[in-house]
Amino acid sequence: MRDLLVLGGTSHPNLTKSICRNLTIQQTEVLSKKFSNGETSIEISESVREKDVFIVQSSCGHVNDNFLELLITIAACKTASAKRVTAVLPLFPYSRQPDIPFLPSLSGAPSISETKEYYTFESAPSTPRPLSRNSESGKELTNNSSSSPLEKKIINNNNLKMPIPNRSVNFQPKAIVTNSASVNFLPQVDENGKTESGYKQWISPNGTLIANLLTTAGADRLVTMDLHDPQFQGFFNIPVDNLYSRPLLKHYIMDYIPNYQECIIVSPDSGGAKRATAIADSVGCSFALIHKERRAKFANQPPSTSSSSMSVSMSQQKSLNSNYTTMIPTTMLVGDVKDKVCVLIDDLVDTSYTITRAAKLLKDEGAKYVYALVTHGVFSGDAINRIKKSGIDKLVTTNSVPQSEHVAILGDQIEVLDVSRIFAESIRRINNGESVSMLFDYGW
Amino acid sequence: MSTNSIKLLASDVHRGLAELCAKRLGIRITPSELKRESTGEIQYSIGESVRDEDIFILCQIGSGEVNDRVIELMIMINACKTASARRITVILPNFPYARQDRKDKSRAPITAKLMADMLTTAGCDHVITMDLHASQIQGFFDIPVDNLYAEPSVVRYIKEKIDYKQSIIISPDAGGAKRAAGLADRLDLNFALIHKERARANEVSRMVLVGDVSDKICVIVDDMADTCGTLAKAAEVLLENNAKEVIAIVTHGILSGNAIKNINQSKLKKVVCTNTVPFEDKIKLCDKLDTIDVSAVLAESIRRLHNGESISYLFKNAPL
Repeated sequence: MRDLLVLGGTSHPNLTKSICRNLTIQQTEVLSKKFSNGETSIEISESVREKDVFIVQSSCGHVNDNFLELLITIAACKTASAKRVTAVLPLFPYSRQPDIPFLPSLSGAPSISETKEYYTFESAPSTPRPLSRNSESGKELTNNSSSSPLEKKIINNNNLKMPIPNRSVNFQPKAIVTNSASVNFLPQVDENGKTESGYKQWISPNGTLIANLLTTAGADRLVTMDLHDPQFQGFFNIPVDNLYSRPLLKHYIMDYIPNYQECIIVSPDSGGAKRATAIADSVGCSFALIHKERRAKFANQPPSTSSSSMSVSMSQQKSLNSNYTTMIPTTMLVGDVKDKVCVLIDDLVDTSYTITRAAKLLKDEGAKYVYALVTHGVFSGDAINRIKKSGIDKLVTTNSVPQSEHVAILGDQIEVLDVSRIFAESIRRINNGESVSMLFDYGW
Repeated sequence: MSTNSIKLLASDVHRGLAELCAKRLGIRITPSELKRESTGEIQYSIGESVRDEDIFILCQIGSGEVNDRVIELMIMINACKTASARRITVILPNFPYARQDRKDKSRAPITAKLMADMLTTAGCDHVITMDLHASQIQGFFDIPVDNLYAEPSVVRYIKEKIDYKQSIIISPDAGGAKRAAGLADRLDLNFALIHKERARANEVSRMVLVGDVSDKICVIVDDMADTCGTLAKAAEVLLENNAKEVIAIVTHGILSGNAIKNINQSKLKKVVCTNTVPFEDKIKLCDKLDTIDVSAVLAESIRRLHNGESISYLFKNAPL
């Protein structure tokens, strides 16, 4: 190896170790500690002068701490005359704007859901709506948005491994909400700048910022995997190698799923359809899609502009507000999965709401066995327990973030694929100036 | 329809100082929401339009979650920038990573420089800070940096609360000699110096006193107190040399680790910190702590900066 050094951050030491083992080089020790006031301090044990330095840091645990540690390490290498510094971020921090907001923010506190005994996979954690810091209204919302008491009871009695189809919702919508523009002259914006459609005004898009910070710190190149948005590469002025876990997942499907030609690849939301179809095409399976609607669909009212309708719209507005609580997200399956083996494909699972709900829907529709293939299994909060009790029969993920805790809980239900070989090979190729693109297609 | 008025933003973790400043400026803190995702990532949204406004972001960084605060600040700046703010001024009373300002070992990072670059990258146009550990840090920036001094506020405190005619100003290390000498000059007092030999960071080995302190009220002046080990040792050395009592005045009372324990067990009569660093919770644990309010200085600097007036008046005088 020519002047190659691999450094590891504190986020995922095992991955760094196995990358180094695959490269058959000694890992360069980085001493990372914290001063008593919480500031991070870095010490690099070897000279990096005129070396090609790779720094491995995933985005997990204390994301901000780890990210700043990475920036400081990059800056340290750069000021210590490293020839080239490449940041290897198996999971890229702040790479997505989460599509599911959490439970109504209880006075702005971090809202990581707790472990519960029963999970209903019917409800989304919450529907985008004008949020208030008033915790009372939030409470009311969670109570009602899940389901009626009767329905809840049925679900609680369910064997959660094989849930009984139960999706006839016994409530009658009262208000018309689909066209807010018709009843309001201005979108209702609450003090946090959220409109009723869930569209958030003045919210910060963090992607560019993170990209710029990495460049500022002195990163010359980035290696990452399965970026949530492929557009993310465009935020950078430095080369970004986005590796794919697709070949890895493809091999899993072909090698470990019996009669894989018969199985159906399912995307749990419409955003991931492209990802899922790509895999379906490459293994030659058929494909289904779960479409998530954020709210119950009601009749559309034509936009009214006449002033006489003002009073009507005011009263509608009132009932609209009071009826937020009755809206539920609906999911629908496009495609037939009856008596089939289903393979859910997603790039990142965090709260696991989407994927567990999808699994339940598949089981309801008569799926025989549900696999969930996830590239980045972050599983924060109670996600792992939720999965354990969900309709997912087998969860397959990669070690782009540490998985040992998850394996301890899930046991046989989880399989962890190793991405260190892909990263090691890409590091070797980048170091040698070879093409990385063959890794996109064939995996390693 | 732009008003180009002052908009003060603050993180929702430590807002004490921001609230004081807002009160003095007669404005309210712009509502905003910081949400923590379960992954640990931060989501930020501003509650009202900031287009073409003069933004001031006040960020107090206490001990503990420095990195979270830093990333939070970057996100706040960037949110304002992308929301077309006219100018973004960051008020960092206690500049993070100020002590890592030089390459003191091989391959050590100059993190203060990284902070400066990050602030500029995020979109900051102006920085106001207070009692920088090394004023050379201003040179790390390509944007204007106003380094305010706590000294006028400290002078007032000493004149009002301490029998200062019988006092002597002490610098706890050679690096702070200039600061202490400046303060001694302002008060027309003598000053003494403690020389310390430091083995490792956050640890002090041996101390030597230079100067006569017998029967004097010793006022130790420093820019930063972390674990307070230095202060406690200095107090012992001073009392061994027949000092009457020892008071410490510190600009940034980070008070991390066992600082409270150290202070309680030490022979210090009082530890006075400015409110640049939030430490309300610690005052309850330690009755030796006292606060100097610097919100007047910061609020006045915001007002002057907004109106395009000179700030140098504040270097010598503290507004009431």
